[in-house]
Amino acid sequence: MRPRIVLHIFRKDLVETLRDRRTVVMAFVVPALIYPLLFTLLGSVATDKRGELERTRARVAAWGPVPEDALRAVEQQARADIVDRRPDPPSDPEAEARKLVSSKTLHVVLLTPPGSSGPSIPVRVLSDSTSVDSDAMERRVSRALTEHGAELLRQRMTALGQQAEAATPLDVHEDDLADAARRGASLAAALLPYLLLVLVATSGFYAALDLTAGEKERGTLQTLLTAPVRSVEIVAGKYLAVLALTLAATMCNLGSIALTLSRATAAMGAGARFSLGLSSAGAIFLTVLPAALLIVALLMAVGVLARSYREGQSYLMPILLLVILAGFASFLPGAELTPGTALVPLLNVTLLVHDILVGKAGATQVTVVWAVSLAWAVLGILLAARVFQTEQVLLSGEKPWRDVFSPGVRAGRELTPGNALAFAAVLLVLTFYGSALVERRGGVVALILVSQLGFFLVPSLVWCRLFRVPLRDTLQLRLPTRRGWAATVLLAGGGWSVGAVVWAQLLRFPGARAYSDWLGELLGKQGQLGLWTALLLVALLPAVAEEVTFRGVVLAGLRRSGSRWIAVLGSALVFGLFHINPYHVLAATAVGLLLGWVALETGSILPGMLIHLVNNGLQVLLDRVPGLAEQLRSPVPLVLALATTAVGLLLVRGSRRPAPDEPPGPAPVSLASP
Amino acid sequence: MIEARGLSKRYGEVVAASDVSFTVSAGEVVGLLGPNGAGKTTVLRMLAGVLTPTSGEVRVAGHGTEGEAFQLKRALGFLTGDTALYQRLTPREVLRYFGRLHDIPEAALAPRIETLVTRFRLTEFADRQCGKLSAGQKQRANIARAFVHDPPALILDEPTTALDVVTGRFLLDAFREARAAGTAILLSTHVLGDAESLCDRVVLLHRGRVLDQGTIAEVCARAGARTLTDAFLARVGDEVAA
Repeated sequence: MRPRIVLHIFRKDLVETLRDRRTVVMAFVVPALIYPLLFTLLGSVATDKRGELERTRARVAAWGPVPEDALRAVEQQARADIVDRRPDPPSDPEAEARKLVSSKTLHVVLLTPPGSSGPSIPVRVLSDSTSVDSDAMERRVSRALTEHGAELLRQRMTALGQQAEAATPLDVHEDDLADAARRGASLAAALLPYLLLVLVATSGFYAALDLTAGEKERGTLQTLLTAPVRSVEIVAGKYLAVLALTLAATMCNLGSIALTLSRATAAMGAGARFSLGLSSAGAIFLTVLPAALLIVALLMAVGVLARSYREGQSYLMPILLLVILAGFASFLPGAELTPGTALVPLLNVTLLVHDILVGKAGATQVTVVWAVSLAWAVLGILLAARVFQTEQVLLSGEKPWRDVFSPGVRAGRELTPGNALAFAAVLLVLTFYGSALVERRGGVVALILVSQLGFFLVPSLVWCRLFRVPLRDTLQLRLPTRRGWAATVLLAGGGWSVGAVVWAQLLRFPGARAYSDWLGELLGKQGQLGLWTALLLVALLPAVAEEVTFRGVVLAGLRRSGSRWIAVLGSALVFGLFHINPYHVLAATAVGLLLGWVALETGSILPGMLIHLVNNGLQVLLDRVPGLAEQLRSPVPLVLALATTAVGLLLVRGSRRPAPDEPPGPAPVSLASP
Repeated sequence: MIEARGLSKRYGEVVAASDVSFTVSAGEVVGLLGPNGAGKTTVLRMLAGVLTPTSGEVRVAGHGTEGEAFQLKRALGFLTGDTALYQRLTPREVLRYFGRLHDIPEAALAPRIETLVTRFRLTEFADRQCGKLSAGQKQRANIARAFVHDPPALILDEPTTALDVVTGRFLLDAFREARAAGTAILLSTHVLGDAESLCDRVVLLHRGRVLDQGTIAEVCARAGARTLTDAFLARVGDEVAA
């Protein structure tokens, strides 16, 4: 894939889309106007109605022997008029009351059965809860009656020679511990996640449709296919254009909603207050990002199947409905972010945004949802890329789905970037949930054995077998050159310093120290194992299994992108993501960059295994040799190790052995290929 | 320059093209003629590298589709009659976009665009959005787009469909100029008059197969007809009757 070509397509599609008034109006103007208008209008209507109800006197009927003093209290305290006084109730009082309330002749009916007398007189308050007016008047009348009842009780207590306060043995007052800000956040947490997801979908809807089905209908997609451009470059450029537009529109709308909510809650006085801080807005944006990646990928993958704009609208509607359904979770009181719901795409984002707004979300939750969502997004993008590579789809053929899912093109002799990312996505989900299961049932030994063998090594070999790729070439199972070995020895000796320096910098950030301590405690558990067992489990096994997975399968697929930077950075990021905690992700990505670079330059997976082995082995020794950690963190060994690493990196460059038997395809180390 | 060797394309049970072979030399115009559904567009798409043949081989300027698809596409200009241009871009922007996709350096691209704007008389509307242009103006912009990378071979799929006489004549003159400059042109058309006036040779295609090919005189002689239209009707009619 050539970035400059992707950029040309991206720029052209963005310009063309922004010149489409319908897309701009639907993505930016309508939502930006509709929230303030809607809230203002609804707020104004609600305020007007509240004022009207305040000013209106309640129309009340009193049927049967309702006590006169109670009626006077209702007239005075509830500002009511007794407009229908009947000594005897009608034969069917409920039906009669329903008729009169429905016709708005009355708001409320007070009903006392004939013959009622004595110290306790029953009074039924009949109203219609589906009528705003009747319901509001019922509350006024009931409050007046309750207060009058309390007053009667006090009078009776006094008459009996008791203190009036004795009538109130418990003086109950309700106080809400949530302040106005939390009440505002709670209100926003119900609304915002839903609105955000729907916004992402609606913002991308027309742009995706226009750049897929629209282009097919206009015949411009065929014109583009006659240019020297790969399908994957076309889908990447278009995807980025729709994504950019979607994110821009979403952010504009998020701002509009936040401001509107802020105004709306301010109008509620002390009831609630809402303001979206920059950190929360940033966290929400980062959370919504993978959801946007997935939604846009789905819109494009499905949109391009349609042969016309109109057909595309029908095809995309179910996606919009699915997004709305997932967003609805924010309104459900029982919906919570659990390991189960974190697996469900879009729903997990809804629940996480909710938790961020009410201040419940932690860094681990954010990372887990982000990683899972990203895995789904990668699958969505792969689907879009696959659809765009199907000529029957691009040329408006019949039954395009048949070609998209035909198994004929699956098998091959090389892994592709899409294949590698799909593998990483599958592995990520498998590792996350598998680890949670093993953790509950087994100890640290079982966890390491199952994760390294069951989640990395075996799936990697199965994946290679599934796609019938030769193991030796895919995993680079060959010896490096002498120079490669020399560089490896230097990097194995000093490579640990890369992780150490990155960790030292990360520890300045909040939460990193606590995580580091927790990690130290976890790693300390291997101290209970024998030295050789610990070296086998913590050093050797991960060095083999993780290198086979990340510098083997993942790097092999990404190498076929034609760019060494994409290959190294991509495999390092994937490696980093498997470490879940944000700080660990960064540190592991840094180490992954080193290992990926070495694997590419030496053309072998073995140096990376050795560096990995020494790095992890050192971790085992740190817990067993007193004072070793302090010695290594002191400036002299650290600088020496960094210098050794630098020399190793210089030496490793270009140390690859020429491989005449390497499979055909784009040269793995070329910066760009046609 | 353009070579089809035993090209076939199947969609499940449907055979869109079967064992189609012909060549177009530099400085030659070859007409690909056939009724609707004959498989002309399928053959053109395979030659342009847009469709992958089920079997057979394509070569343009010596480049095949296997591993050389980019070189093949760089040697080819492709023009269809349905005026497929980006409605919200101007002709100048369209030319710049395709120039960049063909990897023409920026310094060379600007003068190339100006040359094409002048050559195809786009000046008046070069900065107006394509959606606001007439059919004739769009097709002039489109042919400029096909010429932006100065290809040695052109594939034209019904280029004069729905155009007025003036624009149609303008395009035919442009194709003659290109032929004179050594460009190999494969022209698919329903307008047999255009084929007679422009083509050096013709290929008659029906139901995905080549019925006949040669100079117009040779095809007419073999069909026992005086004009290309009569020859076409005779051969296609024979096939329908068979």
